[in-house]
Amino acid sequence: MTPHDQSTHWVRSFLLVLFAGVSIIPLVYMVLVSLKENAYLIPNPLKVLQGGLSLDNYATVWLDSEFPHYFLNSLVVAVATTAATVWLASMTAYGLARFDFPGKRLIEGLILLELAVPAIVLLIPQFLLAKDLHLLDKRLGLVFFYVGVNFAFITFLMIGFFRGVPRALDDAMMVDGASAWRRYWQLMVPLTWPAHATAAIFAFLGSWDEYVWALTIINDPSKRTLPVGVALFSGQHQVDWGLTFAASVVALAPVIAVFIAFQRQFVRGVMTGALRQ
Amino acid sequence: MRRRGKSRWRTPAYAFVLPGLVVFTMVMVYPTVRALFISLHEWNIAPGAESPFVGLANYVKAVKDPVFWRSFQNGGIYMLVTVPLQIALGLVAALLLDAKLRGRTIFRTLIYIPVITSWVISSLLFRYLFGAGSGPINAFLVDVTGVISEPIAWLGSRWTALVAICALGVWKGVGWAMLIFLAALQAVPVELHEAAAVDGAGGWQRLRNVTLPSIRRTLTFVTVLSIIGGFNVFISVYLMTGGGPADQTQVPITYLYRQAFSFLDFGYGSAISFMLTVLVFGVATAQLWLSNRTESEGPA
Amino acid sequence: MRRSTTWRSLAVAAALLLALGACSGESDTGTEETTTSTQAATDEQPTTTTSTTTTAAAVEEQTIEFWHAFNAESSEVQVLEDQLIPQFEAEHPGVTVKAVSVPYGDLRQKLVTAVAGDQLPDVVRADIIWVPEFASLGVLEPLSELMPDFEQLAAAVYPGPLETNHWQDAYYGLPLSTNTRVYLSNPDVYANAGVDIPATQDDLRAIAPTLVDAGIAAFADNDLSGWNVLPWIWSAGGDIVDEAITTASGSINSPESIAGVSLLYDLYTMGAIPEMIVQGGMDPYEEGVATGQYASMMNGPWAYSILAGDYPDFELAPSLTPAGDGGSVSVVGGEDIVVTASSEHKEAAADFVRFMVSPEAQRALAEIGQMSVLSELGDAMVEIQPYYQTFVDQLATARPRPPTPAWPEIDQALKTRLQEAFVGDGDIEQALNDLAQEIDQILADS
Repeated sequence: MTPHDQSTHWVRSFLLVLFAGVSIIPLVYMVLVSLKENAYLIPNPLKVLQGGLSLDNYATVWLDSEFPHYFLNSLVVAVATTAATVWLASMTAYGLARFDFPGKRLIEGLILLELAVPAIVLLIPQFLLAKDLHLLDKRLGLVFFYVGVNFAFITFLMIGFFRGVPRALDDAMMVDGASAWRRYWQLMVPLTWPAHATAAIFAFLGSWDEYVWALTIINDPSKRTLPVGVALFSGQHQVDWGLTFAASVVALAPVIAVFIAFQRQFVRGVMTGALRQ
Repeated sequence: MRRRGKSRWRTPAYAFVLPGLVVFTMVMVYPTVRALFISLHEWNIAPGAESPFVGLANYVKAVKDPVFWRSFQNGGIYMLVTVPLQIALGLVAALLLDAKLRGRTIFRTLIYIPVITSWVISSLLFRYLFGAGSGPINAFLVDVTGVISEPIAWLGSRWTALVAICALGVWKGVGWAMLIFLAALQAVPVELHEAAAVDGAGGWQRLRNVTLPSIRRTLTFVTVLSIIGGFNVFISVYLMTGGGPADQTQVPITYLYRQAFSFLDFGYGSAISFMLTVLVFGVATAQLWLSNRTESEGPA
Repeated sequence: MRRSTTWRSLAVAAALLLALGACSGESDTGTEETTTSTQAATDEQPTTTTSTTTTAAAVEEQTIEFWHAFNAESSEVQVLEDQLIPQFEAEHPGVTVKAVSVPYGDLRQKLVTAVAGDQLPDVVRADIIWVPEFASLGVLEPLSELMPDFEQLAAAVYPGPLETNHWQDAYYGLPLSTNTRVYLSNPDVYANAGVDIPATQDDLRAIAPTLVDAGIAAFADNDLSGWNVLPWIWSAGGDIVDEAITTASGSINSPESIAGVSLLYDLYTMGAIPEMIVQGGMDPYEEGVATGQYASMMNGPWAYSILAGDYPDFELAPSLTPAGDGGSVSVVGGEDIVVTASSEHKEAAADFVRFMVSPEAQRALAEIGQMSVLSELGDAMVEIQPYYQTFVDQLATARPRPPTPAWPEIDQALKTRLQEAFVGDGDIEQALNDLAQEIDQILADS
């Protein structure tokens, strides 16, 4: 390496360590507190390591409580939501990015408009709708609404990525007589795999982490999802912070797993291959 | 090629677009119309109760409400501070992590962690960090570095509280922006970089002339989404200051939430939210239009 | 390779359909009961007559849904689910109680949404300040009319908590648990400073400078809403609204009220009350008393449990709220148990309410920290926890926050005005005059 490369490398590493450090301090604190029993007072971060550390909270969370059940509910809902959202958003984004048709401007405008509407104001109208559709107290009710709510954001995101793919490639395929469907599946989707992976990460997170709707429409404890389960560890007058943080740490694991799995798709060179053809 | 019969372009388009739109219309558009309807009434939540039609009265009430204006000011300030910082830092992080680096996955994951840490827990921790008296930030500023002589009661007044709230917003948003930029950077063809290098362009020049123009579209989209997110800030303000003291740190959504769920005035709450919608939509549309105008015929 | 992408898309579609199918293949929970029936009368419960059609005495299955905010893994939820509900169900064959726990911080939001969607459960353990509000919306059942033995039940509970259920000549619930705030102190701090724990407001004013000089806050609290400020106003002899709850002028801006609030303000400006009092109520303040940073605080019985984990050797010294011209008057907190107007099983719900306020159930709850609403159990409380004595004494005179549907707005106005004054120019008299007008307007509008 040249000296220039080496100093670039050091600067790069330093900045990354700085970024990463600032990002994870709260997580480190959460993990440390989760190892304390009966922590009803928010522990001073500097003193967290004093006193005993134990895995009791994790045992309580995982073995004694309904937590694993909520975990499973969240997982089922999140997988279904992610699959449905990414697929529907991707198709819609393709339609909007590649075609011209009456009503296109209206649709794009509606999508942007709905992004600008604060979600909380829709809570009661959506609740009434869910009631009419008989989706109250059902996990399908969660999936259906999560898909609808995340649709605008994910579609909007993907339109941007799709528009970045050169039309020349589409045209080449059309000359070969490829149908729109084939162009979608065999050209657009593979070339925008990082976009789809990003969409999957956000859709999963949007479902996994969602609290308000899950709290609102689910009453049956057997259908409860994780965020509500974690919130239930907080008492009215006192909170067992160790227990709450232990539950939160466990809840983070699948999201991190999804992130790691999907961001590996961010591999350079996919576009290159396409251009060379 | 498009001339050959518009119908060739229409049917496949509708097939792609319709399924998603059906769900979207049911779950989002229809409830939005209902919420708009509610904003035109003095709405009583009791089932079957009378909700008198009041036309634009709720909107007029908002215009005359000084706390309403302050909440929008605060929302705007939050947006103006957090959006550029998030985007800049997110882009820097993405650029740093776009290379073949050992531990790349680990770094990406760590920087993403704030995004997945719940707002509730992050707000709690930031409130602790910015605690009056001997909170860590004060301890750092007074005891460790001696930059100031007296600890600041961060959450006790408007501007210092906004600093704390914005800090949380930026911290939480960097990883989100980074993720989207990373995906966009993958789409920049290696050939462009190679060609520029062959021409003798150094790292900075390649950044300015190759990378940034290529991800311009993504930059726009991230900006628009961040602006929308900025105006929609809620939980962090709710849990850090509750909009106080004395309504000094209200933002649009904390204020409308109080009207709706504390005072049960859903008509007024809905009106506030639609005024926010109009503002955000306007800003977003302006942003998109501006970037479309200045965009040259790039790779697309 | 081309063909496999078609298969892939089909596989995704199939997986999607399967996932959705799995989710939808669940039946409704059994809350949509349509049968009404009489209860099979048990020996101990009084028979009730219903105004709806009665069927033959055959016991039919009913489920009543009960929303509460006991958190998971707590002793309260264990007592509820392992002891109380089974006992009730045994005594009432055919009735099943489905208990749904809701995180406390979001219970109100969930209730409001349920009201709007007409999806309320049968019974709710509600915060006392919500009852008049929901009653005024017409979504609660007046227990004073539903339950023939209501007067007996009402006589057995403390009057302050009972009053929280009062709305327009009827009572819409019964108290379920109660608590109040008392003056909790760190005895060592006082010993070291050479002063006594203040018994009156004047005492507090007198000793504050001594404590401030020693670098200790005399008194800590974290908010300026009714819950925090009313004890001081009432003890000073003032009030926030008049008895009929129609005006605030003459009450909140009376000289006594001004005196009560001014005491707090003066302490705040001299550094005897920490900053957090203007910061909205999120900051915890128990630990400061245990560490000696603060001399005293106003808090409820849970303060003991909070400190027990980290400070097992520390003992709080409880005493009554510092007295003023109005005596030592604190504020009542707690929960009421209510039956919803939309319930399709009102008799069974009323039975459950009756059960939960019975001495047996109340004692079981008292043993795990939920102070009983029954005055007869006052002595038994002290047997359970010695420190309950002070709370029981304080409850004798404790008052509820004004039971009016407009309370959320009044509380917010109070808090905002006081915050403004405290961080601003400190003109308490002006602030309370303005507040009086504001509350008058709120009450007139409601």
